[in-house]
Amino acid sequence: MSDAPQVSHAALGDRIAGAVLAILALGAWWHSHTFVTGFMQPVGPGVFPRLVSLPLGVLSLYLIARPGINQRWPQKVALCRQLGLLLLLGCYAVVLEPLGFVPSTLVATVLLMRLFGAQWRQALPYGVLLGLALFALFEFALGIPLPDMPGGSG
Amino acid sequence: MPITSMTPRRLMASTLLGLGLTAGLPGQALAIAECIAPADPGGGWDFTCRSVGKLLRELDLVDGNVQVTNMPGGVGAVAFSNVAGKRADDGDLIVATSTVGMTQIAQGRYPGDADTMRWLAMLGTDVGVILVDADSPYETLDQLLEAIVADPTSVVMSGSSGAGGWDHIRALMLAKAAGLSSDGISSLRWVQFDGGGPAVTQMMGGHVDAVSTDLGEIAGFIESGDVRALAVLSQEPLPEPFDELPTAVSQGYEVTGYNWRGFYTGGEVSDEDYAAMVDTLETLYDSDEWEEVAAQNGLVPLWRGGESFNDFVRESIDDVEAISREIGVMQ
Amino acid sequence: MEILDFLAHGFAVALQPQHLLLALIGCTVGTLVGALPGLGPVNGVALMIPLAFNFGLAPTAALILLVSVYYGCMYGGRISSIVLNIPGDEPAMMTTLDGYPMARAGRGGEALGLSAVASFAGATIATIGLTLFAPLLVKVAIRFGPAEYFALFMLAFATIGGVTSGSFTKSFIAACLGLLLGTVGIDPVSSVARYTFGWYELYDGIDYLVALIGLFAVSECLLFLERDQRQITAPMRLGSAVPGMWRSRNCASTIGRGSVIGFIAGVLPGAGASLGSFLSYSLEKRRWGDEGDFGRGDPRGVAAPEAGNNAAAGGALIPMLSLGIPGSGTTAILLALLLSMNITPGPLLFEQQPDMVWGLVAALFIGNVMLLVLNIPLVGLFAKVLQAPSWFLMPMVVLVAFVGIYSLNNSPFDLYMMLAFGVLGYVLRKLEIPTVPVVLGLLLGGQMEFNLRRAMSITGGDWSILWSSGISISIYVFAATLLCAGLIYALLVKRRLA
Repeated sequence: MSDAPQVSHAALGDRIAGAVLAILALGAWWHSHTFVTGFMQPVGPGVFPRLVSLPLGVLSLYLIARPGINQRWPQKVALCRQLGLLLLLGCYAVVLEPLGFVPSTLVATVLLMRLFGAQWRQALPYGVLLGLALFALFEFALGIPLPDMPGGSG
Repeated sequence: MPITSMTPRRLMASTLLGLGLTAGLPGQALAIAECIAPADPGGGWDFTCRSVGKLLRELDLVDGNVQVTNMPGGVGAVAFSNVAGKRADDGDLIVATSTVGMTQIAQGRYPGDADTMRWLAMLGTDVGVILVDADSPYETLDQLLEAIVADPTSVVMSGSSGAGGWDHIRALMLAKAAGLSSDGISSLRWVQFDGGGPAVTQMMGGHVDAVSTDLGEIAGFIESGDVRALAVLSQEPLPEPFDELPTAVSQGYEVTGYNWRGFYTGGEVSDEDYAAMVDTLETLYDSDEWEEVAAQNGLVPLWRGGESFNDFVRESIDDVEAISREIGVMQ
Repeated sequence: MEILDFLAHGFAVALQPQHLLLALIGCTVGTLVGALPGLGPVNGVALMIPLAFNFGLAPTAALILLVSVYYGCMYGGRISSIVLNIPGDEPAMMTTLDGYPMARAGRGGEALGLSAVASFAGATIATIGLTLFAPLLVKVAIRFGPAEYFALFMLAFATIGGVTSGSFTKSFIAACLGLLLGTVGIDPVSSVARYTFGWYELYDGIDYLVALIGLFAVSECLLFLERDQRQITAPMRLGSAVPGMWRSRNCASTIGRGSVIGFIAGVLPGAGASLGSFLSYSLEKRRWGDEGDFGRGDPRGVAAPEAGNNAAAGGALIPMLSLGIPGSGTTAILLALLLSMNITPGPLLFEQQPDMVWGLVAALFIGNVMLLVLNIPLVGLFAKVLQAPSWFLMPMVVLVAFVGIYSLNNSPFDLYMMLAFGVLGYVLRKLEIPTVPVVLGLLLGGQMEFNLRRAMSITGGDWSILWSSGISISIYVFAATLLCAGLIYALLVKRRLA
C-alpha cells in the first residue's frame, strides 16, 4: 500500500469484486429469512443482517457501474511466492497440534526465512535460534500453553 | 485493546487468571484446575468461578491455582458448546451454571440437553428481586403490578436474560399472580441487557421502568440507595443485611424465584475424576469461609452434589419447562 | 478538599521505591508484550501474575504492577503500527494510517516520539478527568440509553467515508462487509445461529483479533513478497525521536481535541478505546480537510488517534469503578483483577474504599510518567529492530501473531480463519478498499445491533424512539453534517482533478 502505487485504470477487479459482494449481499438477505424470531422480540435476528446487506448490495452495484482505481496485480513469480507463504502457513497450522510446537515451528521458521529471501546458511542457524527463542518466550515467559510433542508429558 | 466487553462476541478470550495463578504448568494432577465463567467479568457466573477458585486455593484443596476463563455468549451456550465439542473429557475443568442455564436448556437454546454434561454440585442459591429507581412513582409491588395489569405496555421491564429467560419468567410469574391475562403477558415489554448491573444503570438513566434480576449482582445499588427493592422472591425473609426487604409472598403474591449456583463438567469425564471434583466441592461447601463469602454476596448456602444434584438438575429443567409452557414462553 | 487528601495519600503509597520499581518492570514488560502483534494485555497480565503472587506482593503493590502492565500494553500497541504497518492491538489500528507512511519517509523516530507524547497527554488528561469529574460523568453516561448508543454508532459509520484516502463507496462497502461479518455466530438475544452453516467453530462469532491480524499482518506479508527485493534490503532510516518544535506546537491542539473525544467515548460503557481513537482521527482529519496530509504521513494523524485511544482507556475506568460495568475489553480485564483482590467496584466503591480508588489513580499517573520516560530511550531500541533484515523480522512477526491467535482458543480453526482474512485483506488492499472499516464494523456491529433491538423492545417495535431524545437528535444532526461535508468535499476534489 505504501509503495509508489502502481495504479491501473482497467478496473476489472472492481467489477468482479462488486459482483461477488452483490451476490454475498443477496445471499445474506435471502438466508436471513431462515432465522426464527423468538418469543416477544419486536426485532428478530434477521432484521439487522438485512439492514446491512441492503446498502452493501446497492453500493456493490454502484461499484460495478462506476469502478474506481485498482493497484496492479502481482507478477507470476511474486504470486508463486505468495501462494508458497499461504501454503506454508496453512501446513504449519495443520501440523501444529499433531507434531507439537517445537518441531513444526523449527521447520516453519527456516522455510519462512528462505521465503523472505535468506540464504540457507542464514536461514538454518537463525531459523533454529528464532524457533527456540519463541518457544522459550511463550512456554516460560508468557505461560501460553503450547501443543506438546507426541509422547511428551501432559 | 478495545471495546467489546459488552459485545456478545467473545470479547476477548479474557483468559484471566484468578488470584494467584502460577503459569499453567501442564501435567499436574489437580482435582480442579480451571473454571469457565460463561459470561463477562462482574456477573453472577463470573463471581461463582472467582470466589470458588479463590477459596479452593486458600483452603489448599488444589495445588497451585484455579484459572478462571471468561467465555461469554448466548447466555452460556458458547461455553456449553465449547465444552461439549472440545473438552468433553477434561477431568479438571468445571463450568459455572445456575437456574438461568437450566432455563436455556429447558427451552432448547443450548446445543444439547442435560445428558450432554455431568452435573457436579450446587453450593448455594441467589434470590430474585424486583427493583425500581429510587425516584420511581411505584412505591410498592402492588402499585407496580396494578399498573402492569391495567396497561401491560405502560411499564418497561428489563433484566439480564433474554425474553423468555429466567429473569423474565420470574417477572411474568408475578404479573400472572397479579391477574394479568395471557394476552397481556405477551404485550408486556422486556429489554435484555448484558447483566444485572447494566440493567440497573439503564433504569437509573430512565430508559426502563423496573428490573427483575438476582440480588447478589446488584446488592451494592440497594445499599447505596440508588434503587428500591419492591420484592425479593424468597419464601422466607432473607438474613442480614437484606432482612428489611419485603418478600413477594408477604405482600400476597405466591411467587418465589431462586437462582441456584453450581457447576457442570464435560460429559465424558471419568467417574473417578467426577467423584474427586464433587468431593473437593463438598469440602469447600463445608468450610466456614464459604459461609462467609456466600453471606456477603446475598447467597443462601445450599448443598446438592453428585447423583442427587444430577437428579435435581433434571427436575429443575422439567419445572422450568412446565412454567415456560404455562406462561406461554414455550408453545 | 477530601479528594486531594486521598490523592496525596495515594501518591505517598505509590511513590515508595518498591512500588516505583514494580511500575518500571510492569511498564517495560507491558510495552514489549503490547508491541507484539496478537499479544495484548491478557498475555502481559498473565505474565506478571505469578510474579505478583509468588513474591507475596500486597494488594496495592500487585495492583500497581498490573496497572503498569496494562498501560504499557496500550502504549506498546502503536510501535508495530508505525514500524511494520501491523497494529499491535485494535485501538492502534488507526495509527497505521499515518504512522507507517511517516516511518517510510524516514520519520519513524518522530512518529514514535510524538505518539508517546500524545499517549501520555491523552492518558493524563483522562486521569485528571477521572479525578475531578467521575461522579458527574456517571450521571451523564447513564443518560445514554439504547437509542442514544445506536445514534453514536451511526455517527461512527457516517464518518467512516472520510477516514482513509480511498473512495467513499469503497469505505462504506468495507464497513457493511465488517458489519455483516459481525453477525456471524449465535445471536445472543434469540440464540439463533446466524451464517454458521453448521460449523461449530463459528458459533461464538468471528474474533476481531483474528480478523485484525489477518487483515493487517498476513496481508502485509503477502504485499511484502511482491515488492522489489533490492528496495527491501536498504534499511529504513528512523530519524530523530524529538519532534521539531513547530511540529509539536502544531500537534498540541490536535492532542487536546483527540484526548477530549477519546475520553468521552471511553466514559460511555460499550463505546471504548477503538471508537475513541477512530473518532479522534476522523474528526481531526475533517477539521483540517485540504490543509492536512492525512493518510500520507501527517503527524497529526498519529497524534490524534494515540491521544484518543489512551484517553478512552482512562475514561473507561469511570463506569468500571463507579458502576461495576466494564466499558471495554481492557477494563474487563482490570475489573476481573480487582474482583480477584476482593475489591468489588460499584456505586459504593468511592465511599467505602477511597484509599484503593485513589491509590489506583496515583498508580495510573505514575505509570504514565514512567512510560513516557521509558519510551523515549526505547525509540532507539526499536530503531535497531528496524535495522534487522526483513528475512528475520517478518517470519518473527508472523509466528508471534500465529501463536497469539492460536492461544485464544487453542484452535487451528482460528489460524485458518486468520489466513482467510489475510487473503481477503490482500485483495481488498489491491482493490484500494480500506481494511480499517472492516475491523471497525466487526468490532462495533454487535453493540450497534443489540442497542437497536433493545430500543425496539422498549417501545414494542416503534422505530421513532431512535430519534426521540435530544441527545440522539444532536448526534444525528452532527453525523449528517459531517457526512454531507464529506460528500461535497469529495465531489469538489473530483471536479478539480477532472
